[in-house]
Amino acid sequence: MNEASPIRRRTTVRMSTSDKRLNDSALQSQYQPYKDAAWGFVNHWYPALFSEELPEDKVEGIQICGIPIVLRRVDGKVFALKDQCLHRGVRLSAKPTCFNKSSITCWYHGFTFDLADGLLSTIVANPDDPLVGTAGITSYPVEEAGGMIFVFVREDDYPLEDVPPLSQDLPIRFPENSERFPHPLWPAAPSLLDEGAVALGLHRTGQSNWRIACENGFDNAHILVHMENTIVHALNWVLPLGILPDHEEPITLTEDEDGPKGLIQWLFTDRWKPVMENPQLGLKIDALNGRFYRTSVVLPGCLMVENWPEEHIVQYEWYVPITDDLYEYWEVMVRVCKTDEEKKAFKHRFDRVFMPLCLRGFNDCDLYAREAMEEFYADGTGWDNEQLAATDVSAITWRKVASRWNRGIAKPGKGVTGATKTSSIRLRRLAEGKAPGYFVEKIEDVNSY
Amino acid sequence: MLTATESDQTAVDLGASHVTFTFSDGAEHTLSIPTGSSILAAGLEAGLPLLHQCRSGTCSSCLATLVEGEAGTLPGSNSSLFASEMAAGKRLLCVTQARGDCRFTLGYDSTGGQQVSAAQTFVNAVERVAADVIRLELELAEGSWIDFRPGQFIQIKVPGTDQTRSYSIASTPAQLPKIELLVRLLPGGVMSEWLLNRAAPDAVVEIAGPHGAFFLREGEKVPHIMIAGGTGLAPMMAMIDQIRARPGRKPPILLSFGCTSEEGLFHRDALELRQHWLPGLSVQLSVDRGPASDPVRVGNPVEAVGQGGAIDPASVAYLCGPPGMVEAARSHLEALGLAPDNIHSERFVAS
Ligand code: FES
Ligand code: FES
Ligand SMILES: [Fe+2]
Repeated sequence: MNEASPIRRRTTVRMSTSDKRLNDSALQSQYQPYKDAAWGFVNHWYPALFSEELPEDKVEGIQICGIPIVLRRVDGKVFALKDQCLHRGVRLSAKPTCFNKSSITCWYHGFTFDLADGLLSTIVANPDDPLVGTAGITSYPVEEAGGMIFVFVREDDYPLEDVPPLSQDLPIRFPENSERFPHPLWPAAPSLLDEGAVALGLHRTGQSNWRIACENGFDNAHILVHMENTIVHALNWVLPLGILPDHEEPITLTEDEDGPKGLIQWLFTDRWKPVMENPQLGLKIDALNGRFYRTSVVLPGCLMVENWPEEHIVQYEWYVPITDDLYEYWEVMVRVCKTDEEKKAFKHRFDRVFMPLCLRGFNDCDLYAREAMEEFYADGTGWDNEQLAATDVSAITWRKVASRWNRGIAKPGKGVTGATKTSSIRLRRLAEGKAPGYFVEKIEDVNSY
Repeated sequence: MLTATESDQTAVDLGASHVTFTFSDGAEHTLSIPTGSSILAAGLEAGLPLLHQCRSGTCSSCLATLVEGEAGTLPGSNSSLFASEMAAGKRLLCVTQARGDCRFTLGYDSTGGQQVSAAQTFVNAVERVAADVIRLELELAEGSWIDFRPGQFIQIKVPGTDQTRSYSIASTPAQLPKIELLVRLLPGGVMSEWLLNRAAPDAVVEIAGPHGAFFLREGEKVPHIMIAGGTGLAPMMAMIDQIRARPGRKPPILLSFGCTSEEGLFHRDALELRQHWLPGLSVQLSVDRGPASDPVRVGNPVEAVGQGGAIDPASVAYLCGPPGMVEAARSHLEALGLAPDNIHSERFVAS
């Protein structure tokens, strides 16, 4: 026993919350698991790359939920392994080295891993080492759909036999759910898993926590930030000032045993009423040239906006945690294209209109709005100090449903990019003008650095 | 005299040797290990909790001390030990083979390579959760640490006395440095007296642990039955929270929790939250004495198990409470078809 008098660790002081707050402390503890998920929910399917970003034989390194992941495509099939060498933690993807089609070799001391299961299959300069065949790195199941590569980001000891199908982490589908969730104002939304589905979009890094980003996606109170967006005026949409819940069940949970887990909002039904006027501010909206849409969200944070930005198209978004203060923002539009012609037409309209005006213009607003919230939440106190209001029922419902159905809370990244915010490498890269991001920093020229 | 004989193998080349492992808590295991095999590999195969990591003679996690007999490095392997360490009897078990019967001592105990250590803590909170139950939250001081498995207990030196008391930990290892305990108040008890009259935030408390072989068995996917009486709920809270946090599909859990009366039933909110977070958790509450309002039943928590439908005989069970309850629960579960080996229990005595 230590004889000197003991010293207290630095602890955080808990703030008290007032009773009037929508998120009072009983509610707060209902979603404690969500508050703990700064690094994301692990053991879920996440988008990793667009298929075209990983052509045959290419190697890429990314990071999701604080887990570095290396992907390689061989004979059309994508493999994913932990991008952290068993030997001394080097990222395999920083200088891709592959001597055959079934393995990837660490460029430093030559530890070589089987692509299929991550087992150490040999060591370049020590083929007889007793470690060979007995140790390895974690492998991650991979699926490709509609032009996107999905990876099941698992903890090292999450059993492979427990990996659910990708469909359990993607939004509910139509028309199979049309009766349960009617949508008289628009045709059944396509799904990424539909035959002929084409996904077009982009992904980029946002500087905020993934939860801040995700909650923005289905926040009904933030129409205000989009009022001046070009697409709104170009297409003569008239948006209400806001929409308020006006029913005992404005949101329904989707909790089917083998289905995705999340919520769907009854937008543009009598369960939500549009706010057309704020007399005090002299604001009034006359005719509603409505852009009817509906938002839903499922674990691990996949948003679906039906009937957006036009009929037969659905917008998906993901807010993939990279670290606790970075996320990869995926904005994807999906349309079923039966012929090459249709595909071409979709791509044409996407490139000319949707990419610049929706995924950039309109959604750029969301990107900066999330970053504007980040500092309030970054040290953890924002979750206790926020003062939510009636429309925030959406966020609270999501926090509760996510607390209940997530398959695991990611542990804070250890020994990975972004775990130490002030590492000298990170600072040097910043000085070189490179912001922390999603992709590994590759060694481009082997002879000069 | 201990010697590492690298060359002369003639006498023991054939057959097997009896290798005895002595853990720091005195637990002993003897295995028959064929000459030429790694002692670590054989021990792990037999289920012994031997620490290890690289399995190639480098990292030194499998360090043990040879105290009787002879044992040397496996041909073709290397050990990172210095010659002087070898001469002092040190061996890396992963690359060591026995040369005849021998005995090793290990620097850790048999509950999975855990070291019992003493630690200083501060009181964070003292909260009355029922007329006779207090929730005590401690926090390990800077530089102090203990490890434990959910279900295990620690010993506390009651401040201002020379008495120690044992309490199961109600929180999980992931919550360290915070440690939560549920303490039953007993009239005249030294711990109760301290808790009621002197314990306050920032008080310093000495603890030691972990102790006990009652802990959550990892990797079990069969249904879990937990029966708890009174503060016997503490280790169950730790196990439930551990199951919630662990990767993979969660097993269904039935918790049957009993207290003497409905006013005395504590932690109902905490259990409700767990049910919200863990859809596979069902909770049955019982009280010995009525009245009780739905869904609390009058009766004991033991007989409540199996009433709502058949119990899977492959279930594992965890029991914690007074000796009488634990005995009754054990025979009840065996009668329902559970294997005795799958029933783990901890009984506590009032002190
Ligand atoms: S760090 Fe990869 S082989 Fe050494
Ligand atoms: S396990 Fe690493 S030295 Fe034996
Ligand atoms: Fe928006």
